[in-house]
Amino acid sequence: MTDVSASTGNTPNLVQRIRRDYSPLVIGMVGLFLLVFVAGAAFTDDFLTWFNVKTIIRDAALVGIMAIGLTFVTLSGNFFLLSMKEIAALSIICFATLMSADWNQWGPVDADPTTWSLFMTFLVAFVATMIIATIAGALQGALIGLGGNPIVVTLGAAGLFFGIGSWWSDNLVISYRRPHGAEWLGTGSFIGDIPNITVAFVIIAVVAELVLRYTTFGRQVYLVGANRAAGRATGHENFGMAIKCCIIASVCAAFVAVAFSGQVSSAHVNYFSSEFGSSGDMTIMVIAIVMVGGNSIMGGYGSTLRTSLGAIFISSIDNMMVLNGFNSGARVLAVGLMIVFSIIVFALVRRGSRAVE
Amino acid sequence: MSYLGKTLRSILAGALAITAVATASFAQDRPSIVSFNGPAGEAYIGRFIKGIKDTAELKGFDIQVFENQFNQAEQDQQVQQVLAAGVLPDVFIWWPSDAVAGLGSLRALSRTGVPVLKINQLPNDQDRQYIFGYAGPDDRLRARNAGYMMREAAAAKKAAGGEGFNVLVLSYPHSYGGYGLSINAFQEAIAGSDLTIIGDVDEGFGQANGYSGAAKAIASLRDEGIHFVYGMDDAILTGGIRALEEAGYVMGEDVIAVGTVCNGDKQLIEEGKQFGTTLQSPLHEGQLAIKMVEEYLETGELENYINFTPNPAVTATNMETVALRGFDGKLYGIDELCSGAWGG
Repeated sequence: MTDVSASTGNTPNLVQRIRRDYSPLVIGMVGLFLLVFVAGAAFTDDFLTWFNVKTIIRDAALVGIMAIGLTFVTLSGNFFLLSMKEIAALSIICFATLMSADWNQWGPVDADPTTWSLFMTFLVAFVATMIIATIAGALQGALIGLGGNPIVVTLGAAGLFFGIGSWWSDNLVISYRRPHGAEWLGTGSFIGDIPNITVAFVIIAVVAELVLRYTTFGRQVYLVGANRAAGRATGHENFGMAIKCCIIASVCAAFVAVAFSGQVSSAHVNYFSSEFGSSGDMTIMVIAIVMVGGNSIMGGYGSTLRTSLGAIFISSIDNMMVLNGFNSGARVLAVGLMIVFSIIVFALVRRGSRAVE
Repeated sequence: MSYLGKTLRSILAGALAITAVATASFAQDRPSIVSFNGPAGEAYIGRFIKGIKDTAELKGFDIQVFENQFNQAEQDQQVQQVLAAGVLPDVFIWWPSDAVAGLGSLRALSRTGVPVLKINQLPNDQDRQYIFGYAGPDDRLRARNAGYMMREAAAAKKAAGGEGFNVLVLSYPHSYGGYGLSINAFQEAIAGSDLTIIGDVDEGFGQANGYSGAAKAIASLRDEGIHFVYGMDDAILTGGIRALEEAGYVMGEDVIAVGTVCNGDKQLIEEGKQFGTTLQSPLHEGQLAIKMVEEYLETGELENYINFTPNPAVTATNMETVALRGFDGKLYGIDELCSGAWGG
């Protein structure tokens, strides 16, 4: 890498530091993102208001969190989990079932629930859901790590998880009454009027990026994803890596399920199959975000920061079109074109950029 | 044996198995029905399937249900498999995934000579010739009832000193058949009132899309003022109510919400955050379908070609007393009739 300050002998200015610290891909993506914002601000009423910016990020939060989790799988060279929405479906059924279970209602039966009793109900449901998600991720990761084709393994797992969720819930909506212990996550806001799920998205995005950039595990993800043989030679087998990354993706999917259930105080096994985005399929939406973020499908190249920006970028385009009065057909078309455009641009940019960051 | 031989033998064995199952299913001397519909995993359709199965059992019919994942190609394949098995039922029930794209399959079913009952989606000019009748919901009636409810709420608000009320519509996708019927009927119902539609967002089905669509609409319309919100179904509306609350509106005071279908959240009506809804019961729809089959098999025709399920208005004042007598003779309360987060 060229050190700009060394070649000029001066302290690098902002532009030089950006060029030094970030690849053309990141610069291009941020530039495109800024361009969208500028165009939006110029031509769309109400686009660049605080309220609307909050709406955009809030809109991106749920799919964004899921996409951040999936990015670990992609960066490690294990393609995608095609079972993301089914993991979420099983998780939301588990969570809502436990939230509504009589044995999980803490405190006196005939009195209004206390904050402590609501929290305990939530905690039990949350922990159990995360355990199930961890098992679901580990199971898929182990099969992939043993050499199973990620597409085949996760397609099979998708059917398994959806089937369990469907059987468990008898295909019915499971609801629980407000007030409940998940409201703070689904609809609450601790920091002013910023929804907690938005805050969670930002925190998860920052933590994920720090893990990838500055921890040994993060380096291993890139190493195994970029060159599996090199990873094996240095003692980093894909078996363990696949399990870890699939667990991260599954836990992110489960967290989204908990947050969504907290928002709507209910659960149904089909919530993530038909309710997210105009395409209606959350897995497809999440994969699209990972791709728009410029992450390499072959692994070893990309970041969760790009994924997060990809989620916000898609949300911005969709938001701008709604404000301009476009109906769903035109919006689906525009988002689809953006995805294709992004993939082409990033593929071209990547040819001349670094293999591993 | 070669790979090809094994494959052919497997296909033959599979076809024989389907035929055997179909033959065994219809072997008894009872009228038989084959229903093609969406997946039980969808809450509304799940209750619909329960309705047709339970009522068919009660009436002494054998019934086989073929579910597709909202996929017309999959449904077409199921039709071909049933026809290829060669064991035909006495009646087909047809809930197309896509009424236009599925016309070929409907024609193929009709050509067998077995009568076909269309359900859920109103007949159009193209498919009328292939069916003996329709049983299902009336999108127009429930939208009209929602409009009347909103008029009632607006009149009360006007009496309290307000005037000139803006309405935000949270729609089905505009390409969906039910959209045109719903919005036209709703507009007719509120015509001449103090209600004016200022926004119509079609984010998609379900609560998440309802939330997302409403949040964007609020950003562009809040300066203009949002006083009423109409959800084309309660699931969409439930998401919309969340978005309005997050934006600082007090539901029931600043904004009055009216929905339809009864597939949302009962607690919102109890708490006064949703003024009301109009019932569209999947259980009742399933029962009605079997009733129409029974009538046709007994008389060779239907008294009415179009048969709608009832769509009574449901508000906080009548929520605990609304009930419908099913075609199985039982009286069903609102928690059994609705399909969303009710009774929880």
